[in-house]
Amino acid sequence: MSGGVPSKFDVVVVGAGPAGSAAAYVLAKAGFKVLMLERGRGAGSKELFGGKVYAPPLRDIWPELDKEAPIHRWVTRERISFVRGERVATIEYSLGRRVGFTTFLPELAKWMAKKATEAGALLVDEIRVDEIVVRDGRVVGVRSGPDFIEADVVVDAEGVNRLLLERLGLVDKLNPEYVALGVKEVLNVGKGAIEERFGLPKGEGMAWMVAGDITAGIPGGGFIYTMKEAVSIGLVLHIGKAAEKAEAGQINKHVSRILEEFRLHPYFKQYWRDADIMEYGAHMTIEGGLRMVPKRLYAPGLVIVGDAAGLLLNTGYTVRGVDFAATSGKIAAEAIIEAFNRGGPTGENLKLYEDRLKESFVWRELVRHRGIAKVMEDEFYFTKAVGVLIRMLQKLYEADYEEPTLIDALLESLAEEDITLTRLIMKVGSVVGKL
Amino acid sequence: MSKQGSVLEKPLKLEDLLQRDIWDVDEDPHIEIPMDDQAGIPKKALVYLCPAGCYTMIGDKVLFSYEGCFECGLCRVVTPKEKIRWEYPKSGKGIQFRFT
Ligand SMILES: Cc1cc2nc3c(=O)[nH]c(=O)nc-3n(C[C@H](O)[C@H](O)[C@H](O)COP(=O)(O)OP(=O)(O)OC[C@H]3O[C@@H](n4cnc5c(N)ncnc54)[C@H](O)[C@@H]3O)c2cc1C
Ligand code: SF4
Repeated sequence: MSGGVPSKFDVVVVGAGPAGSAAAYVLAKAGFKVLMLERGRGAGSKELFGGKVYAPPLRDIWPELDKEAPIHRWVTRERISFVRGERVATIEYSLGRRVGFTTFLPELAKWMAKKATEAGALLVDEIRVDEIVVRDGRVVGVRSGPDFIEADVVVDAEGVNRLLLERLGLVDKLNPEYVALGVKEVLNVGKGAIEERFGLPKGEGMAWMVAGDITAGIPGGGFIYTMKEAVSIGLVLHIGKAAEKAEAGQINKHVSRILEEFRLHPYFKQYWRDADIMEYGAHMTIEGGLRMVPKRLYAPGLVIVGDAAGLLLNTGYTVRGVDFAATSGKIAAEAIIEAFNRGGPTGENLKLYEDRLKESFVWRELVRHRGIAKVMEDEFYFTKAVGVLIRMLQKLYEADYEEPTLIDALLESLAEEDITLTRLIMKVGSVVGKL
Repeated sequence: MSKQGSVLEKPLKLEDLLQRDIWDVDEDPHIEIPMDDQAGIPKKALVYLCPAGCYTMIGDKVLFSYEGCFECGLCRVVTPKEKIRWEYPKSGKGIQFRFT
């Protein structure tokens, strides 16, 4: 490490994302000597996500959130659309209170890291950690290139790719079945046009999830979020299934083209007509369902937080990543403080982190919705059920002279999608149990 | 309608989408795949799914160029371990996201 920076810390945090910054903030506030190492140029420069963040868990960490954080719009409208071809069915819900806000993750991550440094943590960026160093059965620090940095505890907040944990042998190579690719475009629509076109009161925002054949047959879905002056759109695609389909010759266009066709879908494109694309990018995310959680979230001198710990929930209508990551960082930090009070960060004392996480809303949510990832990967739901809905609406609304009864429309649509009524009832029953 | 508006009414080519992004390209490649023995490499998956189009087919070989990489990790996940060397770029190099 270059001159001026001491080489021994109480805690070294790897990664200045939401999980790492929350941990560093809580520890620094408690007087710990904390070093955050971030591979990017400043915090946030490697971050890409959808767009909506749950505020209540973040307020528990930063009560000043509402005043200080880079909040673009409070979400007061949620929409879900089901798409088959150019036909679309949309449900809109107008919220009674403000729970989530939209933002750009590079901005939010920068703010969170700033909170940590203001509390006394040291952030050193442009440092790629290459190894978590173990000596005599315990983690003693990290290595970056030739530099060794000693720490009593290492907080692994490296995110979804978790190369370091893999190298340590604490997790297996990432399974393509458990992860998804997010591709995103940011469109400069303009403040006034956003409010007018999305039907939003001034300053308020929308989160909009899209299911159906916009993903070229790959399990996944689309998202649309209104920012202050821009609109973020994107697709989340199951990597395992996408790769399988590509190898079988069932995908004949590049992912960016699938996203461009979503941007130009006749129903959606009016919302951002004339808007230029400000940025295009991609990031990996977790499919969910607890499948990526390592066997243990701690080891002597080590805790694992955020995406690296597999703590993300995607129910299809909402994504809980940032707030879960930050909360796990906070719980880990509090456990580290307690571990020091109990005599040091031994494995036994750091187990407190896992115990407390498992008592928290994060874990309860993950357990409650554990089956949902499987549902979303099931072609029945993202293709066939959407097809039945759209066919039914088509029969009801697009008849020339005589429209069928509701039940006939349903039965005919089921037959056309090759689904029996019993199968529908069983499938719907099983998904309701998993939501 | 502005000229730009009309261009945007058609799907943009990947090259044009990538024009919107900023990289500080590392001198050394952070990802490598073998050119000789490519058995087991899911070539079609890489060509169609790498969001930055870093993989292209030349004859029956897949050719890799690391410059426009988003560091998403997809190629690492779908390729057998022994057929890919995958690191993040060093010293803050690589993609610089701003509004994502
Ligand atoms: C397409 C997409 C849509 C999403 N939508 C939402 C949403 O709408 N709402 C929501 O709440 N969540 C969403 N998420 C999930 C959310 O972004 C993540 O759950 C969250 O960012 C995880 O935080 P983290 O701190 O654990 O990891 P990250 O945010 O990934 O942070 C990890 C940090 O570690 C750094 N790092 C990695 N390796 C090293 C190393 N070796 N050395 C030094 N630094 C390193 C990285 O540069 C990065 O800054 C989405 C994700 C994606 C991809
Ligand atoms: S990491 Fe992602 S963007 Fe980079 S080459 Fe691999 S698939 Fe392409």
